[in-house]
Amino acid sequence: MLNHDPVETRESWGLFSWICSVDHKRIGIMYMMLATFFLFVGGFEALLIRAQLAIPMNDFVSPKMYNQLFTLHGTTMIFLVGMPVFTGFSNFIVPLMIGAKDVAFPRLNALSFWMLPFGGVLLYFSFFSGSAPDAGWFSYAPLSTKPFSSLPGVDYWIIGLAVMGIGSVSGAINIVATVICCRAPGMSMQRMPLFAWIMFMQAVLIVITIPPLNSALAMLLIDRWLGAAFFEPARGGNAVLWQHFFWIFGHPEVYVFALPSFAIVSEVIPVFSRKPIYGYSFVAGSSAVIVLLSYTVWAHHMFAVGLGMWPDIFFAATTMLIALPTGVKIFNWTATLWGGSIQLTTAMLFAIAFLIQFVIGGLTGIMFAAVPVDWQLTDTYFVVAHFHYVLVGGIVFSLFAATYYWFPKITGRMLNERLGKFQFWIWVVGFNATFGVQHFLGLMGMPRRIYQYDDYPGWYLLNLISSIGAGLMAIGTLVLVWNIVRSLRHGTVAGRNPWKGFTLEWSTTSPPPLENFDELPEIRSRRPVWDRDNPELADWKTEKTPEDKGYRPPACKVSAWAFVISEAIFFILLLVSYVVFNSNSGENAEGPTASTALDVPRTGVFTLVLLSSSLTFWIAEHCLRRQKMGAFKIWLSFTILLGCAFIGGQIWEYTGLISDGITINRNLFASTFFTVTGFHGLHVTGGIIALSIMLIMASRGYLNAKRSPVFAAVGVYWHFVDVVWIAVFSIIYLGYLQ
Amino acid sequence: MIWTPELWHWMSPVWWVVGLILVVYFVMFRPIQPARLIALLLGLLFLSMAYVSPVGYLADGFIFSAHMVQHLLMLLVVPLCLLLSLPRKQPKRAADSSDKVPALKLIATIGWIGGVGAMWFWHVPSLCTLSTETFTVGLLRDTSFLLAGLIFWWPIYGPLERTRLEPPVGVLYLFTACLGCSLLGIYITFTSTVVCPVFATPADSLGILAQLQAAGLTPAVDQNIGGLLMWIPPCMLYTGAIISLLARWYTSVDHDHSTTTAARLT
Repeated sequence: MLNHDPVETRESWGLFSWICSVDHKRIGIMYMMLATFFLFVGGFEALLIRAQLAIPMNDFVSPKMYNQLFTLHGTTMIFLVGMPVFTGFSNFIVPLMIGAKDVAFPRLNALSFWMLPFGGVLLYFSFFSGSAPDAGWFSYAPLSTKPFSSLPGVDYWIIGLAVMGIGSVSGAINIVATVICCRAPGMSMQRMPLFAWIMFMQAVLIVITIPPLNSALAMLLIDRWLGAAFFEPARGGNAVLWQHFFWIFGHPEVYVFALPSFAIVSEVIPVFSRKPIYGYSFVAGSSAVIVLLSYTVWAHHMFAVGLGMWPDIFFAATTMLIALPTGVKIFNWTATLWGGSIQLTTAMLFAIAFLIQFVIGGLTGIMFAAVPVDWQLTDTYFVVAHFHYVLVGGIVFSLFAATYYWFPKITGRMLNERLGKFQFWIWVVGFNATFGVQHFLGLMGMPRRIYQYDDYPGWYLLNLISSIGAGLMAIGTLVLVWNIVRSLRHGTVAGRNPWKGFTLEWSTTSPPPLENFDELPEIRSRRPVWDRDNPELADWKTEKTPEDKGYRPPACKVSAWAFVISEAIFFILLLVSYVVFNSNSGENAEGPTASTALDVPRTGVFTLVLLSSSLTFWIAEHCLRRQKMGAFKIWLSFTILLGCAFIGGQIWEYTGLISDGITINRNLFASTFFTVTGFHGLHVTGGIIALSIMLIMASRGYLNAKRSPVFAAVGVYWHFVDVVWIAVFSIIYLGYLQ
Repeated sequence: MIWTPELWHWMSPVWWVVGLILVVYFVMFRPIQPARLIALLLGLLFLSMAYVSPVGYLADGFIFSAHMVQHLLMLLVVPLCLLLSLPRKQPKRAADSSDKVPALKLIATIGWIGGVGAMWFWHVPSLCTLSTETFTVGLLRDTSFLLAGLIFWWPIYGPLERTRLEPPVGVLYLFTACLGCSLLGIYITFTSTVVCPVFATPADSLGILAQLQAAGLTPAVDQNIGGLLMWIPPCMLYTGAIISLLARWYTSVDHDHSTTTAARLT
């Protein structure tokens, strides 16, 4: 449980109270509202795209506008709709499901949320600059580099995504810490509801999947603003590297969306089948395995690039492999339905449609794992159909299931079922009309992202059907909005548990009060509310689950570890870029190289300075634990001084290099060197600031032995910065791997 | 071609090692459990094949990817089989974190660094060449692989429950190890640097390389495959181990009652 005082102590419903709120439920709702707003924006863009493509040789929008529309549609739907809405549900539901009062870090939660509209505004502000981004949602280089996109649209795209990325990672770290540290007594990790477990896995995935994007964004920004050439082949850069970095992020990102869908369906189907999930362990375990496997398949997005036969073969194999944990889950859900007392509520209908449509999207995905098929169909409308079957037919449908399922808990009112079913059927028809026919268009050779098409046989009709289908989806969405507005005013009062749900969120009032629970039922199985309501049939009587041993590590330390793992991946990607651009640099390098430009012994001395700061930190921590505050402050001051000395050494080195004309835009060695060491220097500076805050806190008496875990958390970061430097020094200065 | 007699090194000294392990096993671990004996025999089969079969011959300065297969067998597969062959000391009650040895963190850290570091260390170009050309350094390398593999797998599949990591920590251990070997694999796959120069210009005493190169296995492609072998199969093995850990975790309540087959073996 939480070990801090509640951060919000009174109910208030004014606008200002929402803006200032740190309550996980309100922040969750704000995430969902923001996502809904951008759903309209991104949906409107989609409608414009479909309007343009409804008839051959249409000139409804200009080519430039069309490029901007599909770029912003993709970016918006991924970053401003998909991620926020799931984060919203995670924020609202996970703490309730695990019996927590709030998330581990409520203020960080608010910060994470507010980064998002900030990033969204930055992205859309690009319209006012006269050049919205138009290089596609994956902004392939060299199109996105300065020579080909000289206007600031891509810059807004980069900064917007970076800001949203920071929010996403901090939000995910919060969920990780909440699940590990804030579970109610009795709630062992193995007893967590599948939604909570899978959202935990999704948060882990966000923590490790955003950093590669951040590395790529940082490098592209340095290309564009500081004249480097990481991704400019004409100047020695490597455009394919962008694709690698982007898809190392981009493919796991698919699972950032798919996992929450699995999580939702794993709650909705059992409740409306009146059965526990079939094969809990498999669904939970396979979700963890997906996190790992999703990291090993990115290059299947690049089969057409020319990686070579063997990489293609290996990635085809791993891609087929990742279908297994997902594919078998389909059987889990189907087996849960088997023999159940099925209630075809709107939520259940959407969940069942998810199963069918997701299978179609999955099967076409397996087709793409076969390299020759990919070569034939890549960049056609078959791809568009495939991923929309996954993202819309699967994920958006599960999202609607979640909306109908948890709306009563969130608002206290039921959504209208008749309107819900009306919306469901409009969506089923509209969705399949829109994207089903695109499979055929793709097979007929229609490329994606084209602005106009000639009147080839069948293209007009199929495109028209697709556009009409898009219109139907828009109408279906308006029905949902109407349903929400109407139900908020006139909906049936929900009560605590209108669906007779199994998990803890249904044991509290709807909507839940501040701090969530008056009292919690005893947790002895995976369905505590079922156990309480049906004592004769309680799960724990028939199936034993691992007991909760009561261990809850300090949240600050857990979050520090999650953060450094995220940062480690960021640095690894930067170091990979260094190795890529500096292998064999002696043979054909022009300008300075590591061996000609760097003073290794001098930097070696400063390396020792930095490493010794880890030792002084360790001594300081030891003193703090023993409450020797005087010694603590002295050793902490030493640590800060050593950190400052290292930064001083770096400034000395930079000054020398710059005075020799070695600047970041000189050549690829200089670009990679300054990027890697510069980011490391920034991290050391951040560490020094954190240590200084600790020193000030200690001087004012806020830091004592009891709060030593907070200091230890800062230590995790500080030692990490040292470890990164060991890698940097070995690779850049000592030339390991070259 | 694989059956060419010259490619099989039937007189390899590895048989002495195999025999020694068998003797020690039969002396120390009686009564013998069939499942564990199968694990042992599999381990010994992989160990002997790493040297006796064409993998051993081709790894000796001919083909980089065969060299990589040999390393993976020695570092990951053989130690895993050997550990699984050891009788497990069952806890009297369900595992409890308080039962763990205090030095478990240290053991795991050494195991992780040993397992991942061994691969990185022996693929520094100069060391890779030296260990392939010099018998004693090669012996040192292979022994270090076996030992590193044993200490790497120990916190996951060691016979003592007290020295095994809690399954969630074990998952993290394997996940990060996968990242570690992936990075090396990615580097070897895509770098233009010749990672092990001795394989770039091998002496083709049997005339086999000409055939292989005619079939497309040029030194560059060979290194490409070697990198992919370093990258993907270990991660798949780790994924399998993660699945078994999760199975162990979810069935940890059942130690005294009914354990699954997987849990019994692991």
